[in-house]
Parts: sequence; C-alpha cells; structure tokens
Amino acid sequence: MSGGALERVFREASGRIVGALAARFRDLALAEDAFSEACARALKDWSVGGYPADPAAWLYQVAVRVALDGLRRRRTHARFESQLSAEFDAQAVHEDDDIVIPDERLRLIFICCHPAVSVDARAALTLRLVCGLSTQEIARAFLVSETTMAQRLTRAKSKIADAGVPFELPAAPFWAERLDSVLVTIEIAYAKAHEDAAGSGPHAHFAAEMLDLTRTLVHLLPTEAEPGALAAMVRFAEGRRPARVDRTGLMIPLSEQDPQLWQRSLIDEGNGYLHRALAIDPNPARVVQAQIHAAWCARSDLQDPPPWPAVLAFYDLLLSQRDDAVVRLNRIVAVAEVRGVETALCDLEELDRKLLRDFGPYHAVRADLLRRAGRREASLQAYDEALAIIGSPAERRWLMRQKKLALSRGI
Amino acid sequence: MQYALLIYENESIFGPGKAGPKLQHAVGRHIEFTKELGAKRVGGAGLKATSSATTVRTTKGKQTIHDGPFAETKEQLGGFYLIEAPDLDAAIAIAKKVPLLEDGAVEVRPVLGPG
Repeated sequence: MSGGALERVFREASGRIVGALAARFRDLALAEDAFSEACARALKDWSVGGYPADPAAWLYQVAVRVALDGLRRRRTHARFESQLSAEFDAQAVHEDDDIVIPDERLRLIFICCHPAVSVDARAALTLRLVCGLSTQEIARAFLVSETTMAQRLTRAKSKIADAGVPFELPAAPFWAERLDSVLVTIEIAYAKAHEDAAGSGPHAHFAAEMLDLTRTLVHLLPTEAEPGALAAMVRFAEGRRPARVDRTGLMIPLSEQDPQLWQRSLIDEGNGYLHRALAIDPNPARVVQAQIHAAWCARSDLQDPPPWPAVLAFYDLLLSQRDDAVVRLNRIVAVAEVRGVETALCDLEELDRKLLRDFGPYHAVRADLLRRAGRREASLQAYDEALAIIGSPAERRWLMRQKKLALSRGI
Repeated sequence: MQYALLIYENESIFGPGKAGPKLQHAVGRHIEFTKELGAKRVGGAGLKATSSATTVRTTKGKQTIHDGPFAETKEQLGGFYLIEAPDLDAAIAIAKKVPLLEDGAVEVRPVLGPG
C-alpha cells in the first residue's frame, strides 16, 4: 500500500472510528488522540507485519485499547472513574472476536456542529473529525496558520467538554434547531470551497469532501428533506464549476455560463437528491433553493432561454419561507430580467442599506442595475464599493471589466 | 451538571424607581418559573440595580474600589439561577424559559466542580 493509499484508509476510517470512540467514552479529545495513536501504530506495524484484512477494524481495536490505557492512567490520578473503566474493560474483552464498528457518525456530526461552538470552529471540527482532514489542510482552506487552526480546534473541543454538550442525538424539542446548525455548518464549509471559483487553490479536494459529507448525512437522515436539498445544491454548484471561470481567469455569471461545459453526471446526481427531498417535503427553504439551482442546471446550451421567470417565482416562494436581505437581493436580480431594471432598482432602494453595507454582492448588483439604467456616476461609485470588499480574483476581474463598460458609455 | 443562568436585561426597564404593574408581573413570572423548576433549581437570586453596586478591582496586586458595576453595558446582570441539568441542551431549554421583561439575554455557564 502506498503512502497515499494509507492516508485514504485513515481518512475514510476517521469519522467511523472517532464517532464510535466518542460515543463510547464521551470524550472527544480522548477519541481523537486514541485514533491518531492507532494510525501511528499502524504505520509502524503494517510495514513490518503486512496489512490486516480489515484495516478499519484493526484501527478501531487498537484505538479502543489506547483509549482504555489513557483512561486507566487517568484513573491512577482520579479514582472516581474506576467504575466506568471496569465497564469499558468488560466490553473490550467481549469485542475481540467479532468487530463491528458502530456507526456513530451522526452523533459525531451533531456534536461537532452544536450551536454552542463558534461557527468557524464547527466547520473546522467537522472536517477534522468526521472527514478526517489534517489540521494543516483545514488551516489552508480557512486561510489561517496551522497554529491558529490547531488552537481553534482545541478550544472547540474544550468548549464541548466544559459546557456539557451531550453525546446523544438531539431530543425531539431540539431537533430542528440542531439539524439547522449542522446544515449551516456544511454550507459554510462548502462556501469556502466555492469562493475559489477555479477550484485549483487550497480548496481543490475540499469540495469532494463536501460531496462525501452531504451523501453521508442523507444516508444517515433518510426521512429529512433538507439534507437531501443541500446534497443536491452542492452537486449542482460543483457540476457548474468548469464553466464558472474562463481561460483568462475571468468570472462568468451563471446566465452566461455555457451549459455544455457543465458536468452532467454531478447534475444528474443532484436531481436525484432533489427529487427525493421534494417527495419528503417540498416546503423548507433549502428545498426551494435547490429548485432554483435545478432550474438553471436544466439548461442544455446557451440558445436555451435563461429560466428567469421560473427563478423569480421560486424566489417569491422562498421569500415566504425565509425573508432576509440576501434572498431579497437575489430576487432583485431576477426581477431586473423579468420586470425590468427600473422595477429592480425600486426594490433595491427598499433594502436595508446599513445591513448590506459590507456585503460585496449588494454593491455588485447595485452597480450592474445602475449601469444598465444609464446612471453612470452612481454606477461607477457602486463598482468601486464592490471592489473594495470583494477579494476573489475572478470576480474582481469581472467587476473591473463591467466598470470599464460603464466608463466607456460616457454621457 | 450544574449551570448558572445569568440574566442580562436593560436596567432602564427593571432598574431604580421602576415599580408598577409591569415589574410586578415580571416578579410573578419569576415566582411561577421557580415553582416550575422545582428540584432543578439549586439556587439563585435577583440583584438590586447596578447603581447599588461597588466593584473592587485588583490590578498588579493593587486594589482599588470603584462605584458602579464591573462593566458599563446596555444590558446588565440583573439576577441568576443556579440549576441542575443533565447536559447543555437541557440547560439551554431551561434558559429559553427564563422570564424576561423585554429584550435581554441569558448566559448559560457551567459551574466548576467534580462533575
């Protein structure tokens, strides 16, 4: 087995094993340390004694023993855990002959995404423990140093232990809130991958992790609509990736992307997830959002008219589910195409400008509408405001090109 | 585990000279809430207004006495409950039911101890 293949074995086993250990010992740090130690021992043992038939089972067994040793060492310092450890010992002996790693990934996901943990740390912790990414990889994706990320992860684990985050699936009264927290976390993690339009930067295989994670979540929550909608959206967005940026590194807006460049297999998979989600419940906000993506992805080539009327109808529906400034802004883009630029500008004036002041897309949409309405000076100013906030190189190039367009139409 | 539920509210609503039906109503709701908590309530108290507070600050070993609360903020600590809850989710569920006069916040803090 090559180093890369070994790494894949470790990564794939991570969520399963850390989840099982965390659920059993109710200690996230202990679970993670025990798994790391088991991987270190595997590197040593497997190169000498050959690979076990079931590497995950081997890792789990060793990790359980490491965790028990850790607990025993702790017990010599604090006697009150003796009863717990005796119980664990009995289980360990029992499991030696037939090893089934209990699938506790769902519990692990809910723990990592608990709203008591800061939003950024939630995403990082999920990637570390559920997806098995290294701290270094996560640090690169979040554009922080490895030390900073390591501290953030440690803080998150301490918070979970100190605050008493339960190691159980959320009870019915907390279910909706906690599931939303999980979905928001995945959305944030995916946004990191999506910002990088070309997909060649530090997020290159990050997007693939999101495909895996959403697939796992749908598998673990077969009766919920929103995980399926999220799985669909991630696939639609990834499917369109090849057309998002042209060869010169310029961003291509969705309506101008060549559908023939899109990855049909991902879009088909997305449609599969969406149909299942619709069958469960067509009403939640994420299901409506996924339908907007699906409407775009139904285009077969640039000759096909853009689905603006359908998109506008979905945004009207979405607004009844989730009335926030970002939904309104997206709706205004569709309004401009269906009802004209002046109507869109009127709607834009009604938005809370203070709230959107630091939101780059607000200024970009405003600049575009003002340019199309022939209001040159106001448009130029809005482009500058957008450029002062937006950092993505592909998007900046596009904005600068549009700004030049506004300039050349001198009044 | 034990958790402290620290209640932060705008003092201009519950503060000095704010007697009246609204405050009476709030006190009534706290009494109700305490009854509802039953054995889950380990302790707690309402606090007098921050105008009655005195703060002893230690800086580099030197102690000074200040009039007023530790921090001048829009919302002040006005009282707390000490509760027994199996985990954070259960504590949050109780925190959501703490009566507030208007807007405010309830901070959920685990209490130090052997567990």
